[in-house]
Amino acid sequence: MQMENNHHNRNLRKIHISVIGLFCLLCVFQLCEKRQNGNQQKNSGIQITYWCSSNQDEIDLAQYLVDQWNMVNDSIKVKMQPIPASQSAEEVLLAAIAAGTTPDICSNMWPGAMDDFIASGGLVRLDQFPDFVDYISERVPKDLLETFRGPDGHFYQIPWKSNPIMVVYNKNIFRDAGVDFIPRTYSEYIEAGRKITRDLDGDGNFDVWLSHRDTKPIWWQRFFDYYTFYIAASGGQTLFDGSQMIFNNESSVRVFDFFQQIYKEGLFAKTTFVGDAFILGKLATQIAGPWHVSHVEKFRPPGFEYGIFPVPVPDDYKGQVYTFGDFKNISIFGTTKHPEATYAFAKYLVTAEADLKLLEFTLQIPIRDDLTENPLFEDFFKENPNMVYFAEQAPYTRGMDGVSDLKEIFDAISQEYEACAIFNRRDPAVAVENAAKRAKVIMEWNRSR
Amino acid sequence: MRHFIKEIKSSEKSGYLMSMPYVVYFCIFVAFPLAFSFFLIFHKWNIVTPMEWVGLRNFNRLFHDIQFIKSIRNTLVFLAIHIPLQISIALFFAMQLNKKIIFRGFFRALFFLPVIVSGVVITILWEQLYSYETGLLNLIITRFGFARIPWINSPEWAMPSIAIMATWKNVGLYIILFLVGLQGIPRYLYEAAEIDGAKPVQRFFYITIPALNNTMLLVIILSTIGGFSLFIEPFVMTGGGPMNSTLSAMLYIYNQAFYFGHMGYAATLGFFFAFIILVVILIQKKVVERE
Repeated sequence: MQMENNHHNRNLRKIHISVIGLFCLLCVFQLCEKRQNGNQQKNSGIQITYWCSSNQDEIDLAQYLVDQWNMVNDSIKVKMQPIPASQSAEEVLLAAIAAGTTPDICSNMWPGAMDDFIASGGLVRLDQFPDFVDYISERVPKDLLETFRGPDGHFYQIPWKSNPIMVVYNKNIFRDAGVDFIPRTYSEYIEAGRKITRDLDGDGNFDVWLSHRDTKPIWWQRFFDYYTFYIAASGGQTLFDGSQMIFNNESSVRVFDFFQQIYKEGLFAKTTFVGDAFILGKLATQIAGPWHVSHVEKFRPPGFEYGIFPVPVPDDYKGQVYTFGDFKNISIFGTTKHPEATYAFAKYLVTAEADLKLLEFTLQIPIRDDLTENPLFEDFFKENPNMVYFAEQAPYTRGMDGVSDLKEIFDAISQEYEACAIFNRRDPAVAVENAAKRAKVIMEWNRSR
Repeated sequence: MRHFIKEIKSSEKSGYLMSMPYVVYFCIFVAFPLAFSFFLIFHKWNIVTPMEWVGLRNFNRLFHDIQFIKSIRNTLVFLAIHIPLQISIALFFAMQLNKKIIFRGFFRALFFLPVIVSGVVITILWEQLYSYETGLLNLIITRFGFARIPWINSPEWAMPSIAIMATWKNVGLYIILFLVGLQGIPRYLYEAAEIDGAKPVQRFFYITIPALNNTMLLVIILSTIGGFSLFIEPFVMTGGGPMNSTLSAMLYIYNQAFYFGHMGYAATLGFFFAFIILVVILIQKKVVERE
């Protein structure tokens, strides 16, 4: 019995020693890894981490730009990483700020989320660098740059690229339906839709529609229907004027009314398509940005002809047509140990040469006012004539207000839009009024102390 | 206290060491989040900016939040359709699979298959089936001359459609549970009843159902908890629409926390919702459980 106990104790001691040994080993590995990382950094001078968007075109662009930079810069090395996968880049960035694991620099900053990032103290103030305003003003129009000023009067983002939303249309479908004009107004667009949306094989079901939008009441889905058309109808207004909410106006009512008519007549499909319905020839138009051109170019079948026109506006609208720009900007995070070096890299990302690569790799529009005049871009636009429409539209784009309640306000608009436009259960004026009331309640709650 | 320390000192230490991984896991992933959520109830916090003490204001908002109340009502509508549907279908198939039929093993496996497939995959698949203009279900319906059904495009149809899909996905698990229960009922009870002249319907109501009471309670509690956790289906398929008709309480809490950054308010909703689940389960236990 005594022997058995001794044997048992010996076994237990062995287990204890093994567990403690394993734990020590893990600690040693961890320390070694840290030291190795530290040594690597010491050997190669400054190392900064750059997060880019996670779509393949932008990863390729970032890799190219980083390789070029690293080739000629021995003292500042850049490590590129796509933003970790998530529902949205903002979620990842918020989580990274909270955890203190942000990179040195990121080129996928959504202006709508900037208020939170600034309030958290997570970003480096860019106008602390003496040449910032002069350097950026050479590229970005001054009035546009002003729209990116933070609530405290300082700049925290470098305007980088925009994706002006326009209407891409299938010329073949237009021709087959006998639509021989480009729809510029609400009436023309609906008139074209009535001819286009039809049953081709006589089975009683529509086979071609004017267009399709995701009807789910998810706040960001409204960027590409209500908000784009609101900016166009209002001549470039956003939801706010400073801190004043202004979307409860005639333009919003007209947009709600327009989409109500579209859905009432079944001109937009309410279905879920398998595959790209535009490429498959089921949709005559697609409300999209220049990224869609790159997609269409890659996958269009032989004989598929397409064109681009600006977002339709109310019948009595006069003047330049504005649209939503879906801007993405560059910011430096407060966790960086090398703000000067990171700023130097940020400036490199917005050089004319880097902008040309942005166009070539991603077909997205750099925010610069000499885009259609600078000889550097001439060849690109000759080879990609459809991109000229987006480049010409770029100065007439608007982004998001830097308001921290923006998502909730879009959620409120989205719900009223759904009830009014998609389900025809609310009068447009009442729906806009309801959305504004709810937005007011949200703002009061969020600002109450 | 001294006695307690003495007891620990004299006890076998390896037990503590062996259970340490779970204790660490429990502390990090269960106890801490729970305690932190409770702490958040009294705060306003959007992850990045500093926390702000708000006392009981989150509760004040909760009781005035029409959307949250609507989301609870939607969840209850889902449960009211889903649980009876699930129990009746599961019991029916369990009884069929309890008989001596050919390919019994194959069918048992077949019914269980959707349970192990990812909820997201199933939801995307059903989204295609339910599609208004191009979905297979509506194509079949229109072939027979009927009008299309707006499965997930109408506020009236959307929640029943989600309940049907959820039933299809989960029914396999409950078939297995009922099958286990059915196999535990002694055969002689049926034989005695048959000799006494009981008809099949009488045997079902007077033997099968009472004998399955424990299983029934388990099935009801599991499907209630599962139903209250309704999230993936509306999140992927409808986003809570049309007109908030599929906005479940879980989806609403998720939106408040991760879309709008109201961590404190979401924690308050979470605790309140957990309390509702507890009350409903206790009522069910009281009503269904028999000696």
